[in-house]
Amino acid sequence: MSPSFGRGAMTNSWSDLQNAEVFLIAGSNCAENHPIAMRWINRAKEKGAKIIVVDPRFTRTASKADLFAQIRPGTDIAYLGAIINYIIENKLYDQNYVLNYTNALLKVSKDYKLEEGLFSGYDAKTRKYGVASWGYQLGPDNKPLKAENLDDQDSVFARLKTHYSRYTFETAEKITGIPAAKIKEIAETFSKGKPGTILYALGMTQHTTGVQGIRAYAVIQLLLGNIGKAGGGINALRGEPNVQGSTDMANLFNNLPGYLPHPISTDKSIRDYLVRNGSVQEKPLVALLKAWFGEHATKENDYEFGYLPKNNPSTNATMVKLFELMQKGQFKLLFNVGSNSLVSIPNRQLVRSALTKLDMLVVSDLYEIETAQFWREPGVKSSDIKTEVIMFPAAFVYEKDGTLTNSSRWIQWKDAALKPLGEAKPDLDLLDHLFKKIRALYSGSIEAKDAPILKARWDYGEVPSALKVLQELNGYDETTGKLTPTLADYLKAPVGAVSTGCWIYAGVTGNGNLAARRKNADTTGLGLYKDWSFAWPGNIRILYNRASCDEKGLPVDDKRKLIWWDSVSNAWTGNDGPDVVDKTKGPDTPEGKQSFRMNPEGVGRLFAANYMSGMPTTPPTDGLPVIGVRPAGLCVDGPLPEFYEPTESPTSNILHPKISVSPVALVLSSSPEIQKLGKPEEFPHVLTTYGVVEHFCAGGITRNIPWLNEIMPEPFAEFSKNLAKKIGVKEGDMVEVSSARGKITVRALVTDRLQTYKVNGKDTETIGMPWSWGFASLSPGPSTNELTIAALDPGAGTPEYKVCLVNIRRA
Amino acid sequence: MTRKMVLIDTSKCTGCKACSVACKEWNELPAEKTKLVTSYQTQKDFTTKTWTYMTFIEKYENQKMDFLMRKAQCFHCANPACMKACSSQAITKTVLGYVLIDHDKCIGCGYCVENCPFGVPKLDPIKKKSYKCTGCIDRVENDLKPACVHTCQPGALQFGERDVLLTQAKKRLAEVQKTHPKAQLYGEKEMGGTTFLYLLLDSPDVYGLPVNPTIPLSLTLWKDVIRPVGGLAVGGAAAAVVIGVFANLLKGNYHSNKEKVGNDPSSINKGGKD
Repeated sequence: MSPSFGRGAMTNSWSDLQNAEVFLIAGSNCAENHPIAMRWINRAKEKGAKIIVVDPRFTRTASKADLFAQIRPGTDIAYLGAIINYIIENKLYDQNYVLNYTNALLKVSKDYKLEEGLFSGYDAKTRKYGVASWGYQLGPDNKPLKAENLDDQDSVFARLKTHYSRYTFETAEKITGIPAAKIKEIAETFSKGKPGTILYALGMTQHTTGVQGIRAYAVIQLLLGNIGKAGGGINALRGEPNVQGSTDMANLFNNLPGYLPHPISTDKSIRDYLVRNGSVQEKPLVALLKAWFGEHATKENDYEFGYLPKNNPSTNATMVKLFELMQKGQFKLLFNVGSNSLVSIPNRQLVRSALTKLDMLVVSDLYEIETAQFWREPGVKSSDIKTEVIMFPAAFVYEKDGTLTNSSRWIQWKDAALKPLGEAKPDLDLLDHLFKKIRALYSGSIEAKDAPILKARWDYGEVPSALKVLQELNGYDETTGKLTPTLADYLKAPVGAVSTGCWIYAGVTGNGNLAARRKNADTTGLGLYKDWSFAWPGNIRILYNRASCDEKGLPVDDKRKLIWWDSVSNAWTGNDGPDVVDKTKGPDTPEGKQSFRMNPEGVGRLFAANYMSGMPTTPPTDGLPVIGVRPAGLCVDGPLPEFYEPTESPTSNILHPKISVSPVALVLSSSPEIQKLGKPEEFPHVLTTYGVVEHFCAGGITRNIPWLNEIMPEPFAEFSKNLAKKIGVKEGDMVEVSSARGKITVRALVTDRLQTYKVNGKDTETIGMPWSWGFASLSPGPSTNELTIAALDPGAGTPEYKVCLVNIRRA
Repeated sequence: MTRKMVLIDTSKCTGCKACSVACKEWNELPAEKTKLVTSYQTQKDFTTKTWTYMTFIEKYENQKMDFLMRKAQCFHCANPACMKACSSQAITKTVLGYVLIDHDKCIGCGYCVENCPFGVPKLDPIKKKSYKCTGCIDRVENDLKPACVHTCQPGALQFGERDVLLTQAKKRLAEVQKTHPKAQLYGEKEMGGTTFLYLLLDSPDVYGLPVNPTIPLSLTLWKDVIRPVGGLAVGGAAAAVVIGVFANLLKGNYHSNKEKVGNDPSSINKGGKD
């Protein structure tokens, strides 16, 4: 989403779902994995909204659909491409929106092309793209040239049209297994209903083409004019209560808090960093360094930029990569918090083998999860394992103060409801204790490498206070020591004058702890609830809401007014916080026209071009490299979504058979003995994996709750009646499911909710299996990740849990 | 005090089973050992420790899938067969519309078990007591919603005054019938009108519910005809025989062996009684 709209976050909110007229729920089984979503979807449905569900299985969510299509896992871009083609060919797009709020008119570089499944700039040796040709044609002012109209063959729009002209309903049917007529029905239903929203979750991201799938959603929503509007948007349903919060806090390896790009090894100074990332990152980066190193960070010492660890850009240190490196013996210690890696990482052999290479493993969790007792797994010879394992008892969510940031970007404060049981400690207490101990051990050291530990600002109190941490994220005026009142105050302050641990959280505690607000009056009837907690950024509830207004700054939808330009007070105002560059800059000004202010072009990006705004036209006199203002978010696998087969696929890509799978996917290949690839001759069926409503993620907690084990006691494999007949199995029998990497035995669930389908003319079967089990807990069961493949999306590093090839037989 | 109602709108139910967990939590009922029965259903039938559970029915016709979910629990009938059958006046009906078992009075005769047309009450053979959903009367009398209603996220369960909710249910039914022509209310008239009332998406038999639930004829004959007359007119030995036959009927000795459920999914109880 970030390369399309500028921010990598769900655009709308849970409570906004009630405003939609049509839903495309594809890649999300929200009835199971986000039960709260159904409250709002049901409300919209009561008002007559249409629900489309596309899924490899007829799920509990599908039971509420007006239109359901069973899709072959991993082929979404094929039918989404056909929908884009249909919208363009039938001129169903919102012309005004496309012209004013997207980059449709900008001229694409003449060097850009797509041939035989490869975009320009491909290097087969490194399996990476050079992105130079993915830019715009620039004028002398270094700004993109703009076409006169959408017919200009160089325009983004014309390129888009040509790109998707190959995606007919018939081609999409051959690839996806969804009948062409049904894809057409989906296209018609979704483009007719306005506003329309798209809901996705891990069903869309857990592919080697995950990012591009979401990009396809972005293209559809920008064409239909559905972004920035109540009831519209692309709603990324986050998989855990605080996933949004943890991503805000940089749980991805290539981020710093607040989505600042992580420095890399070639960044010797802040200046180097800004050359790559634009001058717009200077203030948040310096504010972050001030938050972390306080008075030690000064202009003279480059705000101690040298203290920050630097990434090696060629490593791509995703979760799977870490275990790959661990397996090669690169780590001595793993501190495993809030993750049951031995159950949740694809291709369990990798994790199992990697953990044995450690000197020490520390696990902090509520229960002794599988990861903590990997040496006890049946079949493992514990006497051969030298890894020392230490277990910290962690406090449960209700036993600690702090915030959870939900999918709606609402930062919600809660007080501990009870004291932790026994010796259990909140994570904050544990980390505070550790850090203080470590700092004491380094005390007196004059070695440069120890300076960050000794000089870090660490002032959360004797008994650490979660509120103080939140206040650090909000930020301070570093001269007066007072909390920065609002996001606007942070933005106004000169570089180096304010600190913030996460700039997008600025304002959350500036005027009292706004995250603790619990007023649930819905004065607008739109479900904005602006006095309930605090939404980043600046309490804006619906992102990019400038796009809900026309060129004059007036709402285009009378029933769902979010913001507007008030010509009396000469300011943007409304029911929601205006997502504009400057509240006082009217719709006639360049700033006031910007609908997607976080993008360098100021508009939504149909084509994810390589572009940096504000590049000077004359080289600087000091001979140093130039610094632009704002770079665009890029997709490393192409500026337009293209369909590629999953890494393990039962067929080949009919669009370009030579480049069948993603040419840049990160497939674990350094340990061929651990990761074998399966062929359809041996493993003819497609496996897709998922969670069930009764258990949470890797089941570390829920499999220890008897009431939850009662309502879902065991893992299973669900498949069609045809396949059951073929292998001589009936419901309730045990079956062995095998991939090139492993095999497990589970109960068979024979069902009509999965049907045999045709792929490129051949009958194909999908087998579905939940993945939440492991050998420990009150409800032990085989882990489905014994079968899955460690193949990752090249941009996000998300593993392709949703597709691999398997065989099945009666056990 | 007016009669209450819980509306179970199956068109909104997503089968998440939170209701059954909330029930166990509030009523302090232990978990039981289960396995997958059919589809996503893991609880086969009511037990003395399972007073509500989720049933799943997969109906595939003309390439169209209907995935029907229904929360099963006591209906709390206006004319409760269990109360009529009870040999020790342990079962009573409250003004709110709740049908309750007084465990101090219950002697475990099992007549309620055999005569409920929905197969709801279950007998604990050791404690010699019969158990079923209480409708969370202890919560309701303290101005709380029943635990299942309180926890329901998709809004499939609603609690309120019967008149008000029934009107709402009828309105909702008209809406639902546009996409599900066979949708109907179940419990409006059945068994004199039930406190737990369903909006079903299909006919009751698809859900395994009796289309016309009634008080068993044997029970009516016994309670309303034989017993009042028997003592007066018939001589000792003959009366003993008649009474003996009916007592056996009430205990269900003449029923087939339907309780013996194996692994065969076709034999499971879908929530109703056959």
